[in-house]
Amino acid sequence: MAPVHFLALLKNWLISSERPIDKNFAANRLRPPGAVEEAKFMALCIRCNRCLEVCPYGSIKREGFGIAIGTPYVYPEKKACYLCMACCRLCPTGALDNQLKVPEKVQMGKAKIDTKTCYSHLFLEHDVLPESRGGSIGALCNTCYYVCPLQDSAIMLKDNLFPVILDGCVGCGICVERCPTSPNRAISIIPTGMGRPDEAGFYFRKARRSYENSSSLQKTDDSKSLSGEKLLEQKFKIQNSDKAPKFEFPYEPPKNRGDWD
Amino acid sequence: MKYGRFRIATQTVVFLLMFAIPLLNVYELYFITGTYYALNVGGLGVADPVVILQAMFASGQLTLPLLSAAVFPIFVALIMGRVWCGWLCPYLFISDRVESLRQFIRRKVFKVDHPVANREVQNSFRANFIRFSFLITGTAFGGMLGIPVLNYISAPGILSTEAMIFVKERSFSIEILFVLGIVGLQLTLLPRFWCRMFCPTGTLLSLIRSPQTLRVDSLSKHPTTPCCKEISCSDVCPMGLQPYRESRDLLCANCGQCIDACKHDRLRFYSMGSA
Repeated sequence: MAPVHFLALLKNWLISSERPIDKNFAANRLRPPGAVEEAKFMALCIRCNRCLEVCPYGSIKREGFGIAIGTPYVYPEKKACYLCMACCRLCPTGALDNQLKVPEKVQMGKAKIDTKTCYSHLFLEHDVLPESRGGSIGALCNTCYYVCPLQDSAIMLKDNLFPVILDGCVGCGICVERCPTSPNRAISIIPTGMGRPDEAGFYFRKARRSYENSSSLQKTDDSKSLSGEKLLEQKFKIQNSDKAPKFEFPYEPPKNRGDWD
Repeated sequence: MKYGRFRIATQTVVFLLMFAIPLLNVYELYFITGTYYALNVGGLGVADPVVILQAMFASGQLTLPLLSAAVFPIFVALIMGRVWCGWLCPYLFISDRVESLRQFIRRKVFKVDHPVANREVQNSFRANFIRFSFLITGTAFGGMLGIPVLNYISAPGILSTEAMIFVKERSFSIEILFVLGIVGLQLTLLPRFWCRMFCPTGTLLSLIRSPQTLRVDSLSKHPTTPCCKEISCSDVCPMGLQPYRESRDLLCANCGQCIDACKHDRLRFYSMGSA
């Protein structure tokens, strides 16, 4: 066996084996703003809870169980981060970046809209919401757009109709806190690091596997293998307006949403 | 001069401060923030040296905030020795109360007159060996895992965090069970064992010393044998030392109880500048 293969096998094994911190990753469970990447955060965070004490909104909660006990989390479904940046300044170890002062540079995560439950997307599709989601109500909700503190750089209304997440999303979670859908919010924050295979946890890998098996992968691959007339045609379809969303989350969440929480 | 009263006063202040800091923060006064893992007093960062050591080992780097937070505790320890343990630590405050309760029970229930508090554990070499091995193992383990594991068992840190949770949410987290566990053990089987044999913070602080650091000085003529019949200094020592001869031991926390207890005034504090 060639050494390259052996390394690839080793990497695959490392990625697929559970590290203790992999369990830290879950949708709508974020580290406070300015947090360094998860493995380093777990090493540097000394559980002094100073961030928790200065948070004027009470957004930061203390983890009560498991290996991450005592470390800070933000649960945007209960209380989102309002990006006041008070906690970063006070962190005694650099687990939260002390130099970070600009809310736009925070990278807690990225919002992800579930188009199957989002009222605006459902309304566009059905004109009225389906029976299971409120019956005869017909509405463009777009609450997430109106509450976003970084409107138009983090989220935009595509064609003035439905919300789309852009690159500027910092993952503060205010949209999640205010989202009127229930029981599962139609918008959720995927924490930074969870989306990267080297640092991601079980849920990411599971999602990635289902994504690779899904048909959506073939669709994107088709567009790359086009040539000649068809490629030109495809390229003309691409909008060149500067409002086009640059960010799209690179995978689909697993079908069973219970696994995400 | 009796030190006992001052000691209880500072211990009480620190114990109450544990509740006062989160209370001030609830009212949005952020002059002091943090818990006894790491405090911030008006911009001056102060952190438990063990916490800094572990963060260093676990993350493999020494960040500037970490380094600056270590300056103040090291400075204090160099001048006054392990004074955090003897005079400030909220856990020793509780431990002292537990010990007097234990003595009370011994006297009233079991009718034992002599305090024999530390006779069964009087071997400073064994205690030092255990606690240094514990600190080294814990730091190495934390470095391997990449998680500061000794923070999970830091008694003053846990107490302070619980106080904060209590003030903020009127509840406790499960870590309180650890403190209750060691308090229970100290009350029954192993008197005063935690600070003597395990506490990583005390272990590291006792290493930070110089020849000029504050310490207890014995004026006894023959320092190897007890200089009086009562040996009251050994009975009161929370670290189980025999102060008439082991006053320079790394275990000594400069609490001054032996100085108060000595009936012949043969013990005193010695530091830079004293004759």
